[in-house]
Amino acid sequence: MLKVRIIPVLSFNGFGLVKTKKFSNPRMVGNPVQAARVYNSRGVDELVFVDIFASSQKRKINLKLVADVIKECYMPVAIGGGIETIEDINNLLKIGADKVIIKTKALLDTKFIEEAVAFFGSQCISIAIDAYATTEGYKIFNKLNIEISLEDFVNQMISCKVGEFVVTSVDNDGMMDGFDIDLIKQVIQLTNIPIIATGGGGGMEHYNELFSQTKVQAVGSASIFHFTQFTPLDIKNELKSIGIPVRI
Amino acid sequence: MVAIIDYGMGNVASVQKALNFLKIENVITDDHEVIKEAKTILLPGVGSFVQGMKNLNDRGLVELLTDEVIVRKKNFIGICLGMQLIMEKGMEPFESKGLGWVKGSVVKFELQDLNVPHMGWNNIQVLNDTYYKECQTDDFYFIHSYHVVPESKKDIATTVNYGFDVVASIQKGNIFATQFHPEKSQNAGLSLLKTFFEINA
Repeated sequence: MLKVRIIPVLSFNGFGLVKTKKFSNPRMVGNPVQAARVYNSRGVDELVFVDIFASSQKRKINLKLVADVIKECYMPVAIGGGIETIEDINNLLKIGADKVIIKTKALLDTKFIEEAVAFFGSQCISIAIDAYATTEGYKIFNKLNIEISLEDFVNQMISCKVGEFVVTSVDNDGMMDGFDIDLIKQVIQLTNIPIIATGGGGGMEHYNELFSQTKVQAVGSASIFHFTQFTPLDIKNELKSIGIPVRI
Repeated sequence: MVAIIDYGMGNVASVQKALNFLKIENVITDDHEVIKEAKTILLPGVGSFVQGMKNLNDRGLVELLTDEVIVRKKNFIGICLGMQLIMEKGMEPFESKGLGWVKGSVVKFELQDLNVPHMGWNNIQVLNDTYYKECQTDDFYFIHSYHVVPESKKDIATTVNYGFDVVASIQKGNIFATQFHPEKSQNAGLSLLKTFFEINA
């Protein structure tokens, strides 16, 4: 049986690991290579590493650093940040990334996403869906002044045949008071493409709620691992206790 | 020496890292002479079937690899796309010819209630345990939208249940290939690779 995945998310600001709240106020939380080493030794299911400022600061991701992070990992790694060309993707795959996570370029150029899927296969291309709630429903957070609804963006990406969605609630990011279950449910209703839900995990009850109320395949978390004693294994034990399949 | 075939299709670095960890001498190469000298050929790969075959053809590797593996019976291990390419034909994104070392095809998942790609950790059922004896756990990492359908059930080493019994690895003489990624499957994957290279040392 396919197991649900518990995925630590490392957000990078160009210098070190940071953790945001509602996508603002990045707080330094450590060194990415050390963090990757610890997560590998704990046997986590997968790792996500995103340079969250690469696109807005018009930087390319630091390939040397990403290579050092991936070197620590004998599990799958997804990398995101500033990806704009086929060559960018190829450079990341060459140093051992399994998937790339794209957002800004996906908002600007759906043709590029189609091209990337044709070249590397669906399974390689994940799309970050950063959504916030408004009175008119969920919209996609971005710094480009592009206004697009959750539904429209997800449907565009489905038609590009992408392989995965990393769905983050901007409102719940870093707040550690639970996941945005409605957001996850809305995306699941639109598609059968696998989803990683992120944003809001702070206690065992939140993971319990997420997996018992939705059919999500994976959860990504950062704050709970940075700021509490809980480990990915604690979350797996909690899920196992309610009959959710996990890899222990 | 293991020749990890470099044909511009993805995850060579991860495969090399796993072999280095196991202290297995290896080289990433598309050099015909180096491949001829190697004791074992490892074909990794991520991407579409058509692109994979095109890249092998562009480097003159289709004839060379076929000669080494089928005629000279060199040890071969294929991973993910490197497993799919050994079949006769693929459908990604349209029907096209593969290396044809194992009879059968590669087809897209057609599942009503399950997500495609099949992505994540799933447990395998072992039919031929030659290389699996040292694995402590049976969960391996899968990530694929197409799956292999061999003509002969005898060629199937392991299966994985995802809506139905999907082929997870193939073993046929000197040919071994996995749909999952042993290099990404932590201890279980490293144990599998260790056993394969010990037996074929």
